[in-house]
Amino acid sequence: MIADYNEEAKKITWYLISAPLQDEEALRYVEAMSLLKIELNHYESILFSNMLENKWRMASIDAALALKDPNNNVRRKLFVMLAILEASPNYTKYFLARDFSVFYYFRLISISFRSVIRAILGLIILYKIKKKCN
Amino acid sequence: MQLNYDYIVVGSGASGAIAAKKLVDEGVNVAVLDIGLKDEYYHNLIPNDDFETIRKKDKQQYVYFLGKDYEGISWDSNRVGSQLTPPRNFLNKFADKLMPFGSETFHPLESLARGGLGGGWGLGCFTFSKPELEAVGLNEKEMLSAYQSVVSYIGVSGANDDATPYSLGDLKDIQNPPNIEENLKGIQQSYEKHKKNLNKKGVFVGRSGLALLTKDKPGRLATKYRDMGFWSDTNKSAYRSWITVDELSSKPNFSYHEKCMVLRFYEKDNSVKVVVKRTDTNELQVFSCKKLILAAGVLGTSRIAIRSFDYKKNKLPILSNPYSYVPCLQWRRLGKKIEQHKISFSQLTLYLDENRNNFDVGVASLFSYRSLLLFKLIKESPMNFADSRILMQFLQSSFTIAGIHHPERRSPNKFIQLEKDSNSFTGDVLKGSYELSEDELKTNSDRERKICQVLKKLGCFPLKTIPTPYGASIHYGGSMSFDDSGEFFTISKSGKLGGTKNVYVADSSGFGYLPAKGVTLTLMANAYRVAKKSLKNE
Repeated sequence: MIADYNEEAKKITWYLISAPLQDEEALRYVEAMSLLKIELNHYESILFSNMLENKWRMASIDAALALKDPNNNVRRKLFVMLAILEASPNYTKYFLARDFSVFYYFRLISISFRSVIRAILGLIILYKIKKKCN
Repeated sequence: MQLNYDYIVVGSGASGAIAAKKLVDEGVNVAVLDIGLKDEYYHNLIPNDDFETIRKKDKQQYVYFLGKDYEGISWDSNRVGSQLTPPRNFLNKFADKLMPFGSETFHPLESLARGGLGGGWGLGCFTFSKPELEAVGLNEKEMLSAYQSVVSYIGVSGANDDATPYSLGDLKDIQNPPNIEENLKGIQQSYEKHKKNLNKKGVFVGRSGLALLTKDKPGRLATKYRDMGFWSDTNKSAYRSWITVDELSSKPNFSYHEKCMVLRFYEKDNSVKVVVKRTDTNELQVFSCKKLILAAGVLGTSRIAIRSFDYKKNKLPILSNPYSYVPCLQWRRLGKKIEQHKISFSQLTLYLDENRNNFDVGVASLFSYRSLLLFKLIKESPMNFADSRILMQFLQSSFTIAGIHHPERRSPNKFIQLEKDSNSFTGDVLKGSYELSEDELKTNSDRERKICQVLKKLGCFPLKTIPTPYGASIHYGGSMSFDDSGEFFTISKSGKLGGTKNVYVADSSGFGYLPAKGVTLTLMANAYRVAKKSLKNE
């Protein structure tokens, strides 16, 4: 179980900030999972194992869930990792306000665009998974 | 243990602490009965440093930012107490167990902490206007004098500007306002430009009155602009009721009894007997006093009164300001830096007074967003977490949060009811029901829409309006009424509880109306007034 948590923590971190996870934060994720006892139902388990396959899948499914089912337990797991990363000096730079740069507006627009694409892809994936489950 | 006192005060929150202070200052023998929970864990862990430095350097920050049991990673924002940061969670600790409250529609926050809910106060200070005080049921002249005494004691900072009639009025002894942060300065400047038109529509914007020191007071230091106000109370710059309790504890005529749950009182031979159930031993104890002051908060005082009057009436009305918050994007701030040294509390307040009579005013407190951490904001976004994180990093400096409070009146659909339950610690459970009428919903939604329009005009683009569960505003009142008839569950103008000779109520139980302005300063002023009246035997 701990090894599973460790592995998912690494994958979630890679998805959230595109950076490797350090041991202390991985341990915190394992600890948080055992304390918070987030249980996934059959559908959520399938979703989650799909998400762990690769970063793009994780992003797309997360994006679709953010629109369709934002309080899904799968997202809660990602949220816990996000909080753990933010509350660590090793990852502070990924959360503090960014300074203005010439690419500022370009970045804003491109991220918003990417997010829409991910949501569309995610909705398709969700539809397929739901169909399989039924 | 001494069990006889001149005065017993129940509760050590905003009302209880001030009532006790006034009585102790007048030289009578006072005991406060309280549960008295304290934060024994987090306050030693939080460094006396600014937010940004802590974020970059402190390896232990996850413990207090997320909580030792990760309780700060709250997924259910409807949960009672989810608005508290982990170091403030003790405010609500054991409340479920010792004071159970059941409701599908009403979700109040109660506290058993030393200093009560005052420990989580946002520090906003407002005086009620004459028509507001009349609707509440309080005398303007008495309240003005009480406001002044309280403000001089707790230390309040504020400015003299357009909003002064809505905030601190003509009060003296006000410290200079804290330095305004860039995020809110932009809104203030925009208001100055559009002021003429906005004022015509009844919109006024000004610096918030805050119970935050900008000049040292004995034993307390001026704010150091560390932006850690939601996490710790270092230097006692912010006024908290426990500061008063600590201060009184060194006086010979004051006693503080913790672990005491007051169940009921009865009067016998010119004295008041107070029946207490100890939370450590479950034993019953009876204290005795010449006069009893109930300041256990509206719900706590209602429980005690209903039990003491043998359930003659077990259903009482309740008031609580509906509250929504609106995250806004201030386009002028896009790409700007957030200053390292700032305060966390609201520094600017917007008032919507459409009738220009300082009554039924809508109030929006404006905050910037940083020290509550980005992950909570990311959760509210309709995007995937990874992209949302990057976007929020870019937009963080331009976020302004408007917390909108609505005025509140009694209605038959808002009530609490104490029912017997032998399984509970106190032998009963308080239940509640809260429903706004169609008219109230429409009025509140119109008010929110108008405030959002004003925010747009001020350069703040509202993203969405997020209503909070009823009861989450933590402003309560109105379970009894100010009435000199002497009937049960009434409170005389001097604060005496109907049907008793020597029992007074110093909290907001009698308030017949709750203005949208924060109620805490008025709670303290009323408690001061009631303590003074009780000393004069009025």
